[in-house]
Amino acid sequence: MSTMTLEKLRADIAALLEDAPESFGDDENLMDLGLDSMRAMNLAMQWDEDGVPLDFADLAEAPTVAGLWALLSERQG
Amino acid sequence: MDEARAVPLTEAQSGLWYAQRLDRANPIFNTGQYLDLRGPLDTQALSAAVAQAGVEAESLSLRFIDGPDGPRQLIDPALRPQLQLVDLSGEPDPEAAARAAIRHEMNIAVVPETGPMARQILFRLAPERHFWAQLVHHFAIDGYGMVLLTGRIAELYGLFLAGKETGGPISGGRALAGLSGVWADDAAYRQSDARADDAAWWRQAMAGMDEVIGMAPGKAQSAYTFRRFEAALPPSAREALLARAKDAGLNWPDVLTALVAAYCRRFTGTPGITVGVPSMGRMSAATARAVAMVMNVLPLRVSPDEGAPLGDYLSAVARDTGEARKHGRYRSEYLRRDLGLLGGNRRLHGPLINVQPYDRPPRMAGLEVALHVTGTGPVEDINFTFRGDGTRELSIEVDANPDLYSAAEVAAHGRRLAVFIEAAAQAERLVDVSTATPEEALHELEAYNATAHPVPEGSLTELIARGMAATPDAPALRFGGAEIDYAELDRRTAALAAALRARGVGAEVIVAVALPRSFELVIALVAVLRAGGAYLPLDLDHPAERIATILDSAAPAVVLAQDDPHGLYGTRLLQPADWPSTAPAALAKYPAPDDAAYVIYTSGSTGTPKGVLVTHRAIVNRLLWMGEHYGFGPQDRILQKTPATFDVSVWEFFLSFVTGGTLVVAPPDAHRDPAAIAALIRREAITTLHFVPSMLGAFLDARESDGIAVARVFCSGEELPADLRDRFHGRVTGELHNLYGPTEAAVDVSYWPASADDPSRPVPIGHAVWNTRLVLLDDQRRPVPLGMAGHLYLGGVQLARGYLGRPDLTAERFIADPFHPGERLYLAGDLARRRPDGAVVYLGRADHQVKIRGLRIELGEIEAAIGASGLATANIVLAKDGRLVAYVVPTADYTAEALRAALARRLPDYMVPNALVELDAMPVTANGKLDRKALPEPVFASSGGEAPAEGTEARLAAIFAEVLEREGAISASDDFFGLGGDSLSAVQLLARVREEWGHDPGLAALFEYPDVRGLAAQIDTGNGDDGGDEGLGPLITLVRGAADVAPLFLIHPAGGLGWGYRTLAQAVSRAGAAGRTVYALQSPALDPDAPAPESIDALAADYARRIMQAWPQGPCHVAGWSVGGIIAQAIAVELEAAGRQVGLVAMLDSYPADCWRAEPEPTTSQALRALLAIAGYDPEKYPHLQTRKDILDFLRAGDSALGNLPPRALDGVIRVVLDTNRLIRGHHHRRYGGVLTHVRAGLDHQARPQLTPQLWQVLGTLDSLTVPFLHPQLTGADASALIAPALVERMAACEQVPA
Repeated sequence: MSTMTLEKLRADIAALLEDAPESFGDDENLMDLGLDSMRAMNLAMQWDEDGVPLDFADLAEAPTVAGLWALLSERQG
Repeated sequence: MDEARAVPLTEAQSGLWYAQRLDRANPIFNTGQYLDLRGPLDTQALSAAVAQAGVEAESLSLRFIDGPDGPRQLIDPALRPQLQLVDLSGEPDPEAAARAAIRHEMNIAVVPETGPMARQILFRLAPERHFWAQLVHHFAIDGYGMVLLTGRIAELYGLFLAGKETGGPISGGRALAGLSGVWADDAAYRQSDARADDAAWWRQAMAGMDEVIGMAPGKAQSAYTFRRFEAALPPSAREALLARAKDAGLNWPDVLTALVAAYCRRFTGTPGITVGVPSMGRMSAATARAVAMVMNVLPLRVSPDEGAPLGDYLSAVARDTGEARKHGRYRSEYLRRDLGLLGGNRRLHGPLINVQPYDRPPRMAGLEVALHVTGTGPVEDINFTFRGDGTRELSIEVDANPDLYSAAEVAAHGRRLAVFIEAAAQAERLVDVSTATPEEALHELEAYNATAHPVPEGSLTELIARGMAATPDAPALRFGGAEIDYAELDRRTAALAAALRARGVGAEVIVAVALPRSFELVIALVAVLRAGGAYLPLDLDHPAERIATILDSAAPAVVLAQDDPHGLYGTRLLQPADWPSTAPAALAKYPAPDDAAYVIYTSGSTGTPKGVLVTHRAIVNRLLWMGEHYGFGPQDRILQKTPATFDVSVWEFFLSFVTGGTLVVAPPDAHRDPAAIAALIRREAITTLHFVPSMLGAFLDARESDGIAVARVFCSGEELPADLRDRFHGRVTGELHNLYGPTEAAVDVSYWPASADDPSRPVPIGHAVWNTRLVLLDDQRRPVPLGMAGHLYLGGVQLARGYLGRPDLTAERFIADPFHPGERLYLAGDLARRRPDGAVVYLGRADHQVKIRGLRIELGEIEAAIGASGLATANIVLAKDGRLVAYVVPTADYTAEALRAALARRLPDYMVPNALVELDAMPVTANGKLDRKALPEPVFASSGGEAPAEGTEARLAAIFAEVLEREGAISASDDFFGLGGDSLSAVQLLARVREEWGHDPGLAALFEYPDVRGLAAQIDTGNGDDGGDEGLGPLITLVRGAADVAPLFLIHPAGGLGWGYRTLAQAVSRAGAAGRTVYALQSPALDPDAPAPESIDALAADYARRIMQAWPQGPCHVAGWSVGGIIAQAIAVELEAAGRQVGLVAMLDSYPADCWRAEPEPTTSQALRALLAIAGYDPEKYPHLQTRKDILDFLRAGDSALGNLPPRALDGVIRVVLDTNRLIRGHHHRRYGGVLTHVRAGLDHQARPQLTPQLWQVLGTLDSLTVPFLHPQLTGADASALIAPALVERMAACEQVPA
């Protein structure tokens, strides 16, 4: 399992949204930025491959960078 | 108390609810999958996991209540699924047994009011092999929900296993979410601004969408099952896809969706296609982990520019789908309504493209797991589903509606699509990718065109000369009652040929022939051929200007004509009076095979007609094929009635001389007169003739054509409608053949026997004739796969040499055959597709050519003529519904009369437009092209928007307005859904209709006939009653009359249906002074869920009860035809016993049950064939229809009311038909104390003289009538006109007796 950093997390999401990493804030709702089910699913599957402990439901339930990072920090210990 | 907890359905469920309500017994709403588990399975742990997941996934224990306020749902813990164990390890083939059991389970329709929604079954195949099947109704789950559920059960299984080992408590994992969040989420969205915004976004996104066309013709309405093709996408295709996506910086599912949409579009033949793309709709905390029905289907419009870089298209689709998903919560059912796409065959999208990267088998401890999806809900058209993560695996599933696609077609799509994806993923442009696989291309080019057949090298002249020499004394030619034999034909044609030679006629010299139908016309044509020249027919009715143009272009050496009315022929004129009657010497030498035989002018796009030059080789092949294929011989008498300028005349003129028969020439104007043709056929004992289909229709309409018998009729020139084929066989004895071909390929290149037992719809143009190829190619001239529309190209020996004096046009239409070096292909300009049997089906013109009355017309020629008139600065001509419309921008001198006159001088009458529409300017699109859609509709007659008629229409229009809360006028053609009606208001509408008329035609009828006029007609015919959605209720109203007049109850015959009495009912209603209500009683067993009636007496008791209920006091009148009469007598006995006054008891050609006990029992097949008669077909005409499947397929393909019943209803009819025999044989009559009126079919029963009315004497007091009809005709219009007054008179007589 590779360790996820906040920067990597932000970069992954930015790539998915086809946006620059600095173009959205940590508390902005990613759904408003265009994160839809299919994109979220793709990201979740990519993370699953990489051993990142976040799944689709996490993206749906906590759709902000800050929210996901909180979950990650907890799970990565 | 349950009801108090019930909540309304979510929007997602509502859409499905109304779809299922249309066909409650349809099990296709079951979704399901099974996991193939290999390895040691702990069934206890799995049971525990299933039970636990059943508690968490509340949706699996839903129950539904359908109340007055619409459907509601509640969670009923008693319905939670438990794992059911089925041990099949003792079966000879456990795997097959398990699959069959799963199929069986999938075919059980869930009753939402009782449940259960979910079934969990574990099949043991072997100690270490299990199938774990899950079935959940679509109301409770969607695809992602199934993944969540399965994943959770797999997780719990692992936890239980671990817990067992450690003996510790079960903990860990993440529980599924319940339904309260889903419901709250749904309620919030319903009321949100977002919903309104989404709706607005979609309306704009879909504005101006074209009519959705499927990849296969037919009605996209989900059947009970679907066809499935399933395979792994080859790794090479998968890798190409992933590489392309990576390269383009896009998600691979979006790229895959775009490529599949591009593939689908190729089959619709339209510039764009709207496909359906399922959207998970799971981006909310409440739905992310809930098992529920949440998904939506979003319409995606794509219009790939195949010549542009593929990357542009892929990016556009990815962008569009991204945008669409942002608005993806707005239900497609509502969008469909917003866009007015309800009812009939109008839909929101065609094929479904479903990419489910998340759908992969779950990991289960110690087991090897494979996933098999057994159903995902209704399959209206065709669904392309891709499952798997893409990197390791990706499977393709093609699920298709069995009514639209054959198993072979489904498999072919699956295999071909895989090849297409791989090629397209690597292509620069889509245009470079072939649709057909290499094997399919080879098949199209060669296998279907293996037509090589030896034909002797020679000329038409030689064939005719040999024919004349073979039977000199036989009759060759008849006209106006006179006849000449072959010897005389030989002498006279040789003489004229010699005279022509003397005038310089020889090979490649053209002789014009401008003669009316006569001996001289035929002699002229044969003489030209014998002189070695090519004949050019001229139409005497054509305008002088057109004839002058043709003469200038063809430059004939001689003109054979009566006179020279326009002064165009000059010294070239050779009149029949000057023709010699004997030849000075024998004619030596026949023409060479490649010499010109004739030149026929057809309409040309540039404004000038073009002359098609056909060689001897071409026409010899055509004539010898026809002579042999249809077995022509000396006994045949062919009718010559087609004008010589139409190339169909070529075989009419010459075939009989080649085969030794007699040619009968029709009088000059007879070809337009059906009565004259019929008289000629009878008088001259014609065996063979030709019709353009529209003329055949007129011929069949004429009284004189009834009972005509000929050997064969050929049709060509336009599409032969299937209904016309069937009408032909109902009226004429003889074969009917459909031929196809352009003048450019020697008359006809394909043939199809349109026989009475041919169920084809449409009628194909068929297979290629000898030495001929019909090849279907796409826009890039690549062969198309089976079933796909393509441009029709013709090849082989029949191709014309080209257009006379027009090498440019010749090069344009006759191209080098890219597949057979040295040969040519002619671009027919027609679109066609090939059926699985290789027969070609004509689909329409590919260019602006149209056919009017079988004649090919270049619209450009008309446009050029309008331009040349100087009366319009711009114009365009279109063909609409078989009529020509010219749109003109007039000059100052313009008047419609002046333009018509100018056109009539240049064009044949059939090319003068039917309507002229004046415009200020031609409408253009943004990029400057003519905007065809903006052209106004021409006014041929009355337009839409007509006010509703007095009576039912007007009352119904008022109810539309009331239910829809609309103000302003509603017209007869206004569509309920178009005015904003939806499923819920539809239910209200029907409730109001029921209030007003006492019955309603049902939801299915409303969808079918959503307009005021259509629905009013349904109401008037009394379709539907007592909740019978399809007019299948036990009591239907045939005619509604005065409330205080005793109604007549007509009892159904063997099929259980009462619709057949409609004509009789109307006659009864008209015959009486006081409009009488007529009801029909129909068998309750039409409902497949109802128990079969025990006996005729039980049935009669039930019917008597219904009659007394519907007519509580006063005399009860009953009548029935056939079996209906037997039941009517039994009802009379019941009514009498109940103390009711019985009025008329009439039996239309019924005979007591005892007669039938003596007859041999009919076979199932015989009983089923009765369905054909019930549907209005003559069973004798379809002897090959024997099995249930054959008969059902046939009925479904036709347009009878019976054939179009929902499958369940038709099942009910079959059940009644099959059961009738048992009931009748088991019936023992009781005596009725009153009068029995018997109406005998006087023309029938020749073979069964024992069937007499007197048989009834012991069972009542007999009152006997006879009418001159056959048994099946008694309920028809003619018999009803006689029977109805007799019945009415007797009913009136009973009514005068005080009760």
